[in-house]
Amino acid sequence: MQSSSPLKYRELAVGAVKDSQLHRALGKMRDKVGRNAVNLYNQIAPGQDSRLAAKAVRSRIVDNLDVVLETLAENIRARGGQVFLADTGADAVEYCLQVARRHQVRRVVKGKSMLSEEICLNPALEAAGIETVETDLGEYIVQLKGEAPSHIIAPAIHYTRDQVGALFAEKLGEPYTDDPPSLTAMARKALREKMLTADMGISGGNTACAETGHVTIVSNEGNIRMTSTMPRVHIVLLGIEKIAATLEDHDILLRMLTRAAAGQKISTYISYVGGPRLTDEPDGPEEFHLVLVDNGRSRILADPDFREVLHCVRCGGCLNVCPVYLNIGGHSYGSPYCGPIGAVFTPLTRGIGECSHLCQGETLCGACRQVCPVDNDLPRMLSLLRAKLADGDPKWDVRPQSRAAKLAFTAWSLVMSRRGLFDALRGLARLGQRLLPRRNGWITRLPGPLGGWTRGRDFPPLAEESFGERWARRNRDGRDA
Amino acid sequence: MNPIIERVRKALGVQAGDGRERIVFAKSEGFVNCAEAPVPAEERAGWMDSIRAEAKALNLQVHECPDPAACGAAIAALAAERTPEWGTAKQIMRWSDPLLESLVLEKLLPADIAVKVVPEAEGFGESERQDFRREVIASYIGITTADYLLADTASIVLLGGKGRARSVSLVPSIHIAVVPAERIVGSYRRMLSSLNARTLPSNVTVITGPSKTADIEATLVHGAHGPREMHLFVVGAVE
Repeated sequence: MQSSSPLKYRELAVGAVKDSQLHRALGKMRDKVGRNAVNLYNQIAPGQDSRLAAKAVRSRIVDNLDVVLETLAENIRARGGQVFLADTGADAVEYCLQVARRHQVRRVVKGKSMLSEEICLNPALEAAGIETVETDLGEYIVQLKGEAPSHIIAPAIHYTRDQVGALFAEKLGEPYTDDPPSLTAMARKALREKMLTADMGISGGNTACAETGHVTIVSNEGNIRMTSTMPRVHIVLLGIEKIAATLEDHDILLRMLTRAAAGQKISTYISYVGGPRLTDEPDGPEEFHLVLVDNGRSRILADPDFREVLHCVRCGGCLNVCPVYLNIGGHSYGSPYCGPIGAVFTPLTRGIGECSHLCQGETLCGACRQVCPVDNDLPRMLSLLRAKLADGDPKWDVRPQSRAAKLAFTAWSLVMSRRGLFDALRGLARLGQRLLPRRNGWITRLPGPLGGWTRGRDFPPLAEESFGERWARRNRDGRDA
Repeated sequence: MNPIIERVRKALGVQAGDGRERIVFAKSEGFVNCAEAPVPAEERAGWMDSIRAEAKALNLQVHECPDPAACGAAIAALAAERTPEWGTAKQIMRWSDPLLESLVLEKLLPADIAVKVVPEAEGFGESERQDFRREVIASYIGITTADYLLADTASIVLLGGKGRARSVSLVPSIHIAVVPAERIVGSYRRMLSSLNARTLPSNVTVITGPSKTADIEATLVHGAHGPREMHLFVVGAVE
């Protein structure tokens, strides 16, 4: 599993901030997709309010998730599919391994699934001696490189074309080229053979339609259709919250998803997959399994303050506009879910205290909310996570992070609400600041714990006369100073 | 009772069997009725223009034919011109469908191009399925029809079922879809509304142009893992 800690986060982020190649790659995503999303929302009915309409749909589903889950499971089973509700990631992995063992699977082809990263499926399959091949081009590149994806929908966005060319030359024995169409053709050839000979396909899903009993999978490359059509067995991994109730829900949700994720009116393929092949069909999988994974989601559901984060449709749109993500890249987050959505979702599933750096690293600028196709208020939840770190919350097993910080802020509020005390301390500070080093009139190093502020920037000194003092003097003397 | 559903219920603070199904699965009248609602003539008149314009950006090639005979001739010419991406033999796999039957491709194609048809049977044994699989993989062109053609995105919608194998629109390098003009509907929403009124098969696929990727430097490339070339033949005119 990718792991993360405050120290590692800082180390990776500092490295990434200096990585101009990474910024070039991420800049393309920002320019091509990030800026388009909002314009695209406005072109569809009901215009400006389309995000709110999508949010209302997600909210109705999540608030009645029990009913939608039961109906989906019932209808998939009626189609001959098998449904497993997994409590933890480990349970989901074990289920996949059991199915693989039963069918004596030697090779698995995978369609892109962030959930499979979350539950660490690939290492478990490999450990069981099963060759596991990612078939999404971006995932394939990342897998060849032995890395983790760095973006929810564009996993290899941190690579430039010449790096991919060098990788394919090394791993596939192809002549070097940096031409994206030629590189895509190489992967097409290498992966076609894998997809046509695999025993089992595992993919994620974008949503599901409970009333008809279908999982809905959106893709552009066709690899997910291959994964769901050609192997004998198809397993779909889906978070319990990602499902939809009706075909009508699919109207607004899919329109918003494809625009937010890729700036497309519609993706190349939208597949409604409802079960194994029927007896009169000559192709399609013999067995179909839907694995619905909780892995901490029902705990989020129980907290009205955070339930909203489960509205997320995993479009990755918030990454493309986030000033933090665009500077530090996906790997710094140490979780399959990076960017603003990851900074909320990861702490809630892995531990708020353990992942304190994620919510503290974001800027609260609000861009993520503005671009979100379901108007997810991520800044509110980021602030709330910070509040929990400061105050502690037994319900989430969070202890107050720093007694000193808590004390400091209590003292601060004491001073700020008492005029006399404030004035007295300001006088002392004016005297004290004379001892601090300066450059061009700015303080270059603050003392003690305040030193963190001046590590990367200078601090303006207190004026010899404050605005308040000047105002009082002006009123008293009746002239401008 | 499943313990995870129980936990979800507890998290939401709700009870089973409290009638929330009515709220969750409620549909708007506008949605339910829009498939049957009459479409103004001026909107229908714009459908082909919209399909042509969308198709251009998608690298989807649109051919308009007055009748099946003209369509068959155009497909035969196309098949003769193209060369297989994998291997050398020229073989076409097509759905078993009356419209595709009426193209009489077998008569129009040169002798070196074979046409196979998806077998129709109530059941398929292991060896029959393997045979079919081999034939699809060996085909450089797959021909299907479609149940809907969406005017606002140039998407086709394929319902699975007998004689309508899933792999025909996926595994061959070139996908040809033949759609009568009367199957055009205005939008995805209207298509969903129409699906809402029928019993759905196990597999429904919406296809919009040839496969593509933008995973290397966000640069668009056509021809990822699905067909690298797609042709849409619209037979007849929008009335």
